Amino acid sequence: MRIGHFLGAVLVVTAGWAKAADSAGTEPAVAAAATDQLLNEELFQHLPSGQTVAPTTADQPFLRRVYLDLVGELPTPGEITAFCLDRSPDKRAKLVARLLDDERFGRNWGRYWRDVILYRRSADQALIVSGALEKYLVEQFDGRPRWNETARAFLTAQGEAAEKGETGLFMAHLAVPVEVAAETSRIFLGIQIQCAQCHDHPTGRWKRQQFHEFVAFFPRASIRRRPTRPPSFELTSFDFGPQRRRPMAMTGRGALEHYMPDLKDPASQGTLMTPVFFATGQKLSSGVADLERRKTLADWLTSPDNPWFARAFVNRMWAELVGEGFYEPIDDLGPDRQPSAPQTLDYLCREFVAHDHDVKWLFQAILNTSAYQRENRPRRAPDDIPFTANVAYRLRADQLLDSLASATGVSFDPPAQAGPRPGPGFRGGPRFQFARQFGYDPSLRRDEVTSTVQQALAMMNSPLVNGAARQGFLEKLVARWDDQSAVVELHLRCLAREPSEAEEAVCLEHVKATGNPREALEDLFWSLLNSEEFLYRN
Amino acid sequence: MSTILRHHCQLAVDRRRVVGRRHFLKAISAAGAAAGALGWTDELSLRADELRQQGTACIVLWMQGGPSQFETFDPKPGHANGGETKAIATSLTGVQFSEHLPRLAGIADRLAVVRSMTTREGEHQRATYLMHTAYLPMASVKYPAMGSVAARELSRPDCELPSFVRIGAGPLGSTGGGFLGTQYDPFVLQAAGRLPENARPASGMDRFDRRLGLLARLDDARQSTVPAAALPGDHQKLYQNAARMIKSAQMEAFDLERETESMRAAYGTGPFASACLLARRLVESGVTFVEAVLGNWDTHQDNFSRTPSLCGQLDQPFAALVTDLADRGMLDKTLVVWMGEFGRTPRINPRGGRDHFPRAFSAVLAGGGIRGGQVLGATEEGGESVKDRPVTEKDLFQTVYQSLGINSRKEYMSPIGRPIKPVDGGQPVSELVG
Repeated sequence: MRIGHFLGAVLVVTAGWAKAADSAGTEPAVAAAATDQLLNEELFQHLPSGQTVAPTTADQPFLRRVYLDLVGELPTPGEITAFCLDRSPDKRAKLVARLLDDERFGRNWGRYWRDVILYRRSADQALIVSGALEKYLVEQFDGRPRWNETARAFLTAQGEAAEKGETGLFMAHLAVPVEVAAETSRIFLGIQIQCAQCHDHPTGRWKRQQFHEFVAFFPRASIRRRPTRPPSFELTSFDFGPQRRRPMAMTGRGALEHYMPDLKDPASQGTLMTPVFFATGQKLSSGVADLERRKTLADWLTSPDNPWFARAFVNRMWAELVGEGFYEPIDDLGPDRQPSAPQTLDYLCREFVAHDHDVKWLFQAILNTSAYQRENRPRRAPDDIPFTANVAYRLRADQLLDSLASATGVSFDPPAQAGPRPGPGFRGGPRFQFARQFGYDPSLRRDEVTSTVQQALAMMNSPLVNGAARQGFLEKLVARWDDQSAVVELHLRCLAREPSEAEEAVCLEHVKATGNPREALEDLFWSLLNSEEFLYRN
Repeated sequence: MSTILRHHCQLAVDRRRVVGRRHFLKAISAAGAAAGALGWTDELSLRADELRQQGTACIVLWMQGGPSQFETFDPKPGHANGGETKAIATSLTGVQFSEHLPRLAGIADRLAVVRSMTTREGEHQRATYLMHTAYLPMASVKYPAMGSVAARELSRPDCELPSFVRIGAGPLGSTGGGFLGTQYDPFVLQAAGRLPENARPASGMDRFDRRLGLLARLDDARQSTVPAAALPGDHQKLYQNAARMIKSAQMEAFDLERETESMRAAYGTGPFASACLLARRLVESGVTFVEAVLGNWDTHQDNFSRTPSLCGQLDQPFAALVTDLADRGMLDKTLVVWMGEFGRTPRINPRGGRDHFPRAFSAVLAGGGIRGGQVLGATEEGGESVKDRPVTEKDLFQTVYQSLGINSRKEYMSPIGRPIKPVDGGQPVSELVG
């Protein structure tokens, strides 16, 4: 490492080792070792010839990976130097623990779940909840998030959408019961039971009636819309009024009960459904009030007796971090599909439940595995053994924008305004515009998420990226450092690694040929921000 | 609308099939499989090359929201379901359009009106997907849009512009290359009349070139020296395409100011008029597929006050486009398709609106070798269902592909190793093509 980066190092090394809160349960490091052991037994013991397990990744790529995964942005050059100089054998575990306690963890994962919910919205009016939903989730994931508590909050939410972010799941579908039921199942259980909406699942064990019995938990939750400016949406209970929902009603006006449509006679009354939870068979009678229905469902859904709840979360988080899920797509687990390493998944789920759905415990366990810390390789062929390497993915829009911010030192978010900011106003601003171009549904398989010409144009030519690369910090760079140090600094800032000798030579040659160091370094900055490596989490 | 048919069951069945396909996939070269798409029934490939040279193209006028057939091409004057909309005579004897489409009525002899479109999907997003891809959305496979298939099969190597351009896309216009890859995604313009966003280098052309050179040299240096950077690696090609486009002289196709006053006047005013004029300019420059969007057709309320204005935005540009293409000798090679995701209910609801109705609605084709001057199929007197010659979305896609010379029996390999046709089933409408 270059001398220039010693300074920032001192500050970072002193950061403390945050201990796991659950002293009684399995330490994350122990769980990580057990996970690797199980993967070995299940998958790697008899690797076919030609297949190997990738080596552990080096410090610099590891650091960048952990930063992007946990706090959603890049490490500073000072942090890179400090980490590489740290000789302690447990420095990776310490780094993981420290970043889990960083408030940016909440921001990163809060935005992730906002996208999980809102990318599948049925109507754009749902975007009115976006700001509050993000705020709520960011607060949830800061501190000590427990997934069962989060799920319960979403299922039992009530109140003004622009203020109560936990109304987001219902708002995303304007409380239309079949949609809310389908998304509840997909997001919290990893089960796409909605395919049983119209006919019995041909291979699955769940029948059409079971989907509609599940929908029967939701008919009374309704969205009340007031024609204010901006319009206000309130999630309320509809416990008095007509028995049936008006046919063709576009918004969730609520009805006392859910009826399964008669496919042969769609205009007829249909069959009255009483609420039954398909995963456990637990049932309520009809006539139960809305909040009691939803609270009861929250109890049953998050109960350790329901294996799907933990499985869906563990599978999704594992896929986000290791690059591939035990099940793929990550939100389609069952009912009768086989995960790629069942004992490993079961073990992680058991421990996750034993730690009362402690999200950060799970992260800590996964990030400490060898499986997570391996070098990355291209996505495996379908017949290859899974988890032999980590897999790169294109940064989500927020990660990319925050990486731009940390690389350039420019903030893209306007200063926070006083009070909540409901209404369509949130749609403006650089972050929203940026998400329009670079965003994607995080439930998609990542090899389906690729880049477009329009994204290339935005990275190359947009005032946002170019302005950021030209502002502020570049001046200091030219004034303070010689060409070689500046080249290293820019690499550290943009790619979180030092340039190779070949790369350094290309850069210095460019500085020389240009004859104007400031212009040349700005060109380099532009090129690094436009490199493929910048766009991907390695 | 809560009657959403989700056919995920197909998914489970397909997955089972995939297991058997794996051995098959192995037999294919790894490079080909990695490329994502591989066809092997290329019986028409020679012809396709020929068509690339000839500049076969397609313009879809997409009516977002679901246009009312009663207020456009299938009026029902005298029937309660027809409402207050009157009908007018057209240049085709015995054929009437709604009173709101006088100019199109004047060129009806060039149009093929299908009054017997029928599908089973009545929800916007899913029906939009269906009418763009000929498939219902499915979690496991992202199907390519018609425009993406056309771009893949017909795009011309000498065209430096994107081969598939969508003008004025709303929030539902999210279909694209699907498993064929993002290189077949539409290039989306929010509106016609100005250069696409970010299409001008921020730094002057010389400096832009200098930076691109540095970017490419750094990329080469990285690939040869930095280990463990297993990235997709299609980045350079993407940037080359983007740069080639920015620097292309063909970019002036986006500049409508280059048209004469009289030509601009012929298309009329408004965003959709500009979109139609731009569509013609783009096709002239070698673009294969243009989709021009006219929105706000979702007339659940006040159908009868809103549709005259919507038709007003549609009538002149659509008629001018067909006439202009014919005058330039481009109509035979350019297929124009007018459609939306579904039609609207025969019954007028209490708010004076019409709701979603996929059972019987209209679509229009012109040019591209389609036999114009005819009305195909018919609905019942009150428009409640198709009386004669039903045409499904699959039939329509078969017809379009046949008109464009695309082999619809061709099979693409999806990433999970399952062969998929541009459209699965249906028959080309023989009265229109062939």
